[in-house]
Amino acid sequence: MGGESIITLSEKQDWRDIVHRCFRCGYCKFTLEYSDFNCPSYKKYQFETYSTGGRLWLIYGIISGEIQWNEGIANVIYACPTCGNCTENCRFEKFNDFLVDIIEVARAEAVKNGFCPEKQKALLKRTENTEYYNPYGEKNSDNTELKKKYNLPGKAEWVYFIGCTSNYRQQNLRDATLRFLKKAKIDFTLIDEHCCCSPIIRTGQIKPVNDFINYNVAQIKNAGATKIITSCAGCYRTIKKDWLKFGADYDFEVFHTVELVKQLLDEDRLKIKSEYKNTVTYHDPCHLGRHVGMYEIPREVHNKIPGIKLVEMRRNRENAWCCGAGGGVKIGYPEWSVEVSQERLIEAKETGASVISSICPFCRTNLSDANEKYNMGFEVIDLIEFLDQLDIEIN
Amino acid sequence: MDKNKILRNLEKIVGKDFVSNKPEDLYIYSQDPGASLSRPTDFVIMPKTVEELQNIVKLANAEKIPLVPMGGGLTLSGLVIPVKGGIVVDMKRMNKIIEINEYSKYALIEAGVTTGQLLSYLNESYPNLQPPVPDAPPSATVAGNVLIHGSGYLSQKYGDHGAMINGLEVVLPNGDICKLGSCSISPFWFARGPIPDLIGLFISSFGTMGIISKVSIQLFDKPKFREVVFGLLKDPKDIPNILLKITETGLAEDVILGMQDKPDWMKGYVFVIAYVTGESQEEIDSHIKTFKRVYRKANARYMKTPDRIRNVYLEKPIFAAAAADYRKGGGFEYVGANMPLEKIPEAYKRGAEISKKYRIVPTLGSRLIGGTHNIVMFFSYSFNRADTKDMENARNALHETNKLALELGGIPWKAELAGQQLILEKMDPNYKKLFNSIRNTLDPNRIMNPGNWEVNQ
Repeated sequence: MGGESIITLSEKQDWRDIVHRCFRCGYCKFTLEYSDFNCPSYKKYQFETYSTGGRLWLIYGIISGEIQWNEGIANVIYACPTCGNCTENCRFEKFNDFLVDIIEVARAEAVKNGFCPEKQKALLKRTENTEYYNPYGEKNSDNTELKKKYNLPGKAEWVYFIGCTSNYRQQNLRDATLRFLKKAKIDFTLIDEHCCCSPIIRTGQIKPVNDFINYNVAQIKNAGATKIITSCAGCYRTIKKDWLKFGADYDFEVFHTVELVKQLLDEDRLKIKSEYKNTVTYHDPCHLGRHVGMYEIPREVHNKIPGIKLVEMRRNRENAWCCGAGGGVKIGYPEWSVEVSQERLIEAKETGASVISSICPFCRTNLSDANEKYNMGFEVIDLIEFLDQLDIEIN
Repeated sequence: MDKNKILRNLEKIVGKDFVSNKPEDLYIYSQDPGASLSRPTDFVIMPKTVEELQNIVKLANAEKIPLVPMGGGLTLSGLVIPVKGGIVVDMKRMNKIIEINEYSKYALIEAGVTTGQLLSYLNESYPNLQPPVPDAPPSATVAGNVLIHGSGYLSQKYGDHGAMINGLEVVLPNGDICKLGSCSISPFWFARGPIPDLIGLFISSFGTMGIISKVSIQLFDKPKFREVVFGLLKDPKDIPNILLKITETGLAEDVILGMQDKPDWMKGYVFVIAYVTGESQEEIDSHIKTFKRVYRKANARYMKTPDRIRNVYLEKPIFAAAAADYRKGGGFEYVGANMPLEKIPEAYKRGAEISKKYRIVPTLGSRLIGGTHNIVMFFSYSFNRADTKDMENARNALHETNKLALELGGIPWKAELAGQQLILEKMDPNYKKLFNSIRNTLDPNRIMNPGNWEVNQ
């Protein structure tokens, strides 16, 4: 693996200098209490090769020249939803934080060496297409129509960054968010946004990332915004963490919608007047949970909804089982991706819940796909969608 | 060997998803986290049932292909890296906890059950029972640990973990399934005898006698309270005395010792870590008082310990793999040698000298096994996996340490190939003859982990 370092882990540390620190002790495979394997890839394929340790040893083998890139190695590197269970459980400090970064940078090396799998390549092709600028291959919406419909200004304090999944696949979530922001009298607008780059960063196809980031940052600055809000956990993590890693120059604050809801509730400005009489279990999205550390805010918001009974799945918070959609797995391994979600739904069934809520459109999509495929009978919904169903008053 | 034909036949046994000869898989299974050099592997297979395992063994025996059983792959001494190529049999899919018997206090489990899995299961479903737990990561398998004379948690009180085996189900090299222990007669896997005890044949023979598919392991009552009592000993010569005094009390569940030159404040001291248990805090407090007295009388002093350190030692399993990160190099191997107590002071002194000779910070430790009947001594060498010379240096240090252990009357534990040969050189010729004769009878085609325990005729 030669060439320049693509993602610098920190100013003083190059990933190539630390990858051999993995001892393959295997803590990365487990839940916190060792009750089960919690690495979706290891649980599926079971060969040691598919543990994070296996991946790191393969990556080190390439660095040291003992092995060379081939399709098989690339497949191992890509068959991982980068859920971060390994970072949570690896015991080696100042190393564990970088495990997902190392896998992502190895994917970038795979791309450079011509071993990016075809399905993931198609994702980049669509995103780079000037008609689309999104991984779904939908005609780019510059959001002018939405701005008109919701009577949004050209410049505002906040920009609602919709995200590709909400704008092209989960429009109900997008519209619910728009209605909520309007009700909350937030001074916000929309921009002609291009993909936040989460899918292409996760799949190592990083060549155009800086152009996308620069375009979006310029749009946000042009809108005069000092705050960004999004209902997408993937966009949130990417804007908040990855854009900075890629050297983005911005000084706006980044919020997930749930943080705004929490703030409004805390300030007593949001009053929920009707009841939501359901047993709900909350699924922690990896983007927001293990990658950002936001576990309690969504639960606090759920618990303030009158009538709701919030129950926990066996694996929750840092220990949560991934939905299986992340890291390019949804596009690269669609059947396995839904199997991972099925495991989550089986766990949800044990709680007696009828509703699974999340605050990530990607989790919502994959959990819904599994719900449908395996006839699990849940309502899968985003928190902002069920707030939209309730009688709320925001002052 | 027609590898394509073998692959097809293995696929017929376990399905395509669970056998591989892909270069990336073979690369991973041709090495372990210790200092051994990698050795080529031809196939990796993961059976789910004993019938599948049986068919794999029959196929290997017919085709004369070596078989190397693997649990968590954490012996560090290369015991699961094939010596003569062949098939690594990764047992992880045989992961059922079949029975927990609360009366006779045993767990009947398949060979792929990890120590983490059993520990967690008991904590959740049988909180009054506890399993023996090695000083290894939770991915170590219970079977793998007991079959190498593993030791660890509860060893002071009840002996090495191999002694805690009640029964085994074994697939012999000819494919026969054989039950050993009370289970060969009774539906209960509660005891090893009273019948001719053949279980020992399968312990520390490193897979040369057959592949274990099930194991019954003893469980123990879990006291409500558990505490560590730290002591500091200035002179290693006092180790036998303090250990005799500790065991005289009958109060210690476990006792471990440690000595290391880094950080600087630890240099020159032997740390005594005794575990006490009880049904109440008052009982624990009383035990601590006793130990303070014992320490004082044995030229040691009690050390009050911050929670940060205390919690490290109370964790199950102890995070021993931390040693692999001392030098941020990802490599760590140790000579664990079973030693007589009277030789422990010399082992510490000369072990430290070997470490210094090889420019490795001395890191030594020991654990009582069954009172002072046996002490397992650890001479640890961390290394940088990215530096081949550093790895070679560690191998040389390990080899010299194996020689030291034998010279002092000890026996290297789960020894790598070179260490096995050192042991065989010293072994009574008739012991070797008997061992080899049994091995040849069971495995005339020498398919079971060949290269290990090779007796030169």
